[in-house]
Amino acid sequence: MDQITGKANTRLLVGILIGLAVMVAVMAVVRLDVIGRKGNGLGKGFKYDIEELTRVDPALIVYEESADAIETGLAATHGIAVDSKGFIYVAADRAVRIFSDRGVILGEIELAEPAGCLTVSTDGNLFVGFKDHVEIYDAQGQRQASWDSLGTNALLTSIAAQGDDVFVADAGNRVVIRYDVSGNVLGHIGKKDSFRNVPGFVIPSPYFDLVVSRDGLLRVVNPGRRRVEAYTFEGDIEFWWGVSSVDIEGFCGCCNPVNIAVLPDGGYVTCEKGLVRVKVYDSEGQFAGVVAGPSQLVREGECRVCDLPEECQAGGFDVAVDAAGRVFVLDTIRNNVRIFTKIEGR
Amino acid sequence: MGEDNKTINRRCFLRDSLWGASLVGLGMVAGAAARKHKKTDLIWQIDPYLCTSCTNCATYCVLEESAVKCVQVYAICGYCDFCPGYFELGASVLEPGAENELCPTGAITRTFVEEPYYEYTIDESLCIGCAKCVKGCAAFGNGSLFLQVRHDRCLNCNECAIAMACPSGAFKRVPADQPYLLKGESHA
Amino acid sequence: MMRFAQIITGIALALISCGLVWSAERFPPPDFESGHEMPSPTTPHPRQDIYEYIDVVVLLAALGLASYLVLKKRSRRAIFALTVFSLLYFGFWREGCVCPIGGTQNIVLSIFDAEYVVPITVAAFFLLPLVFTLFFGRTFCAAVCPLGAVQDLVLCRPVAVPSWAESGLRLLAYVYLGAAVLFAATGSAFIICRYDPFISIFRLTGDLNILILGACLLLIGVFVGRPYCRFICPYGVVLRQLSRLSRRRVTITPDECIQCKLCEESCPFGAIKKPAAKWSDQDYGIAKKRLGFFLLILPVLVLLGGWAGSSLKAVAARAHETVRLAERIYLEETGEVTETTDASAAFRATGKEIEELYADASSIRAQFGFGGWFFGGFAGLVIGLKLIGLSVWRQRTDYEADRASCLACGRCFEYCPREHVRLEQAKEVKT
Repeated sequence: MDQITGKANTRLLVGILIGLAVMVAVMAVVRLDVIGRKGNGLGKGFKYDIEELTRVDPALIVYEESADAIETGLAATHGIAVDSKGFIYVAADRAVRIFSDRGVILGEIELAEPAGCLTVSTDGNLFVGFKDHVEIYDAQGQRQASWDSLGTNALLTSIAAQGDDVFVADAGNRVVIRYDVSGNVLGHIGKKDSFRNVPGFVIPSPYFDLVVSRDGLLRVVNPGRRRVEAYTFEGDIEFWWGVSSVDIEGFCGCCNPVNIAVLPDGGYVTCEKGLVRVKVYDSEGQFAGVVAGPSQLVREGECRVCDLPEECQAGGFDVAVDAAGRVFVLDTIRNNVRIFTKIEGR
Repeated sequence: MGEDNKTINRRCFLRDSLWGASLVGLGMVAGAAARKHKKTDLIWQIDPYLCTSCTNCATYCVLEESAVKCVQVYAICGYCDFCPGYFELGASVLEPGAENELCPTGAITRTFVEEPYYEYTIDESLCIGCAKCVKGCAAFGNGSLFLQVRHDRCLNCNECAIAMACPSGAFKRVPADQPYLLKGESHA
Repeated sequence: MMRFAQIITGIALALISCGLVWSAERFPPPDFESGHEMPSPTTPHPRQDIYEYIDVVVLLAALGLASYLVLKKRSRRAIFALTVFSLLYFGFWREGCVCPIGGTQNIVLSIFDAEYVVPITVAAFFLLPLVFTLFFGRTFCAAVCPLGAVQDLVLCRPVAVPSWAESGLRLLAYVYLGAAVLFAATGSAFIICRYDPFISIFRLTGDLNILILGACLLLIGVFVGRPYCRFICPYGVVLRQLSRLSRRRVTITPDECIQCKLCEESCPFGAIKKPAAKWSDQDYGIAKKRLGFFLLILPVLVLLGGWAGSSLKAVAARAHETVRLAERIYLEETGEVTETTDASAAFRATGKEIEELYADASSIRAQFGFGGWFFGGFAGLVIGLKLIGLSVWRQRTDYEADRASCLACGRCFEYCPREHVRLEQAKEVKT
């Protein structure tokens, strides 16, 4: 009798054990997260969080958006220029488009290869920089000249024309080339030269901008050193300004600013990538205020899926300034042009 | 008795034809597989152009220490002094140290090459694949740091647990003779 | 000569791959004055393909040996030794992937997805056990499958499972197979791999939940012989059917059954069928009516199952990431949620059209709707046939192993007195 109850008890025990095991097993199956629902479960230290740094003190913002953005309708925009009449030129992969300041398309020049940069000379000629050479177009969009290639390493990122001189920034060879208007090379500026104290350009990524300033000197961005350097047309370095800092008055990251433009009063507008900020500096290089901060320029958390290494850098925006001092920011992500005007009294 | 024999014969015949049909069926499956077969095995890899560095790679791998690690493609790297994948953005001095370094596990080493260039190398024994540096490098730099499945570690599960948890569909099966999808190398 | 040719090909390949890197690279890296050489990223190689082929050869050898041991040698001890080897090789050494069970999904996916190509080794892993089963019965289950092996080893205190429970629980495996095919065919998931309970044990690492699942199954396996094989394994469902047709089969006795009933309780998997007497006329009458009824409701069951399966499409389709993403985007677009997820943010960053995503999701849902008919219909058919099977009388005069359920483990051999006679005779012949 005892043996039988003992057997029955064991069976019961085994039954209960199996029942429990089944329950636990079912729970394990249900709890298993296979689709990433629960997130990665890592602490704060593993999060790349620069949100705090994207905040800009509103008191420092001295510009406001004064008109609707101009939708360029182009696929991959790279550069912007404004001529003396206030017309806006946008260079893209397949074309240069010309807009009035109200956003009306005035013309289009179709191109066979991507245009990286452009500028308009005082006599109305359009200089377009391609990967390795420069082409000149007249006001009607007819090609006037195509200069010699600068070789396979060349990557032209900026161009400026002043009188008889044309300056071309070649990010690939890390040098500025001085041409005359007929395309003859007059000299190279900025090659590392300890005898002339030229430090050399540090260009980690394909952003390398230059402008001719009101004082007749060349301003070339040395992005790897986070500063703007002043050169004579002959290639002597005069001085530089700019500090490496995440603070609002400095330039942050590995290579900033990416683009620069001259204001009518001799000051500068700079454009940074990474933390996308457009800021104003006076002619001495002292921080003067903010045109727009990251929260105004890129949507929060905006990430860009890119195809080629040089495209991977979201927010390599370009800037241009018209005669009235309005700042035109080319958004290369959304391919539109934002217009900012100085707030009166600030 | 004759009746029974008939039934058995019929049953045998039915069984034999089913057996034959099964064999033919398996043969057809084999044929179909052989017709578009791949000699090499298929293995998992991350398409760096689709990866959004969400950090799931660090924790969803079936391995205790993920098979996904950060890779440095030196040919794309800018050799910056201020590497945004190495330094905290707000780092005050450009010197190694936990307070300046971005990597939570200290898996990146910075070596001086020549003025002003520095080389950055991943120490895979420390890297957990969290992609924090990948984000910094992509946002400010050239995107030379990115995640790849390291095939000395990957168990090549039939259903990759990270692939299932990947929010951007960046995991794909690649042939084992081309096991990496490195940026800068052309691939479909 | 071979070596020389290899070196030449190596150099040529290296040059070609270099060319690719530089042509796609537009922005030149710094040129170092110090002559510093830029390193290349390391690319450690995956497991060589040759090992995959070795695995197939080992599988083939193990299947052959298992069949020999079960049918010719009739030695439980040898079968056990092979089981341990398989557990060590296919389980712990090879770390479980790809196994024939999971291979089912690769085959299904390759049928439905024109772009997916099954590696030849995976196809071999899937097919070889099936072919062997057609000839020799489930010898794969007996001593080759690592999942079976790990359960076989823990089976210490077998308890008998009532036959109604056995039949009922076995339906799980059919449903699991149907679901696995449906999810694999739609390219949603490989659920067999996802919920493989023992893989974490073989790898000694994995998700905690899967480890718990494996531990629970092993705990059940101490009392209930091979619970995964009998009630869950989807590949086992296929093996069962093929085993019914096998040329050779496991027999309890080496020659004739003497009706001694000694083997009656020997099978821990309930696979020994007792002799069946002819039904009485009364029983026969009832069974005949029942059979008629079940035959009539079979199509109803199939249709009902199909309808039910198809109407699950909205829920089932969520296994597909595109559908999940589309539903999330829809919620965000209609303002029902304000926060984005990693997935929705990644999708928006690609700039793809939302309408296109919705269209993709609907087409996947439609696939699930269509596939659901087959899945549900299959489940209905299985239930119907099971009922019909209950009403069909099969004559049996001897104790014999059920062709479908017998896992060919060889435990019953030693219970048969005739087996002992055979062994004695064999010994005598030897001396």
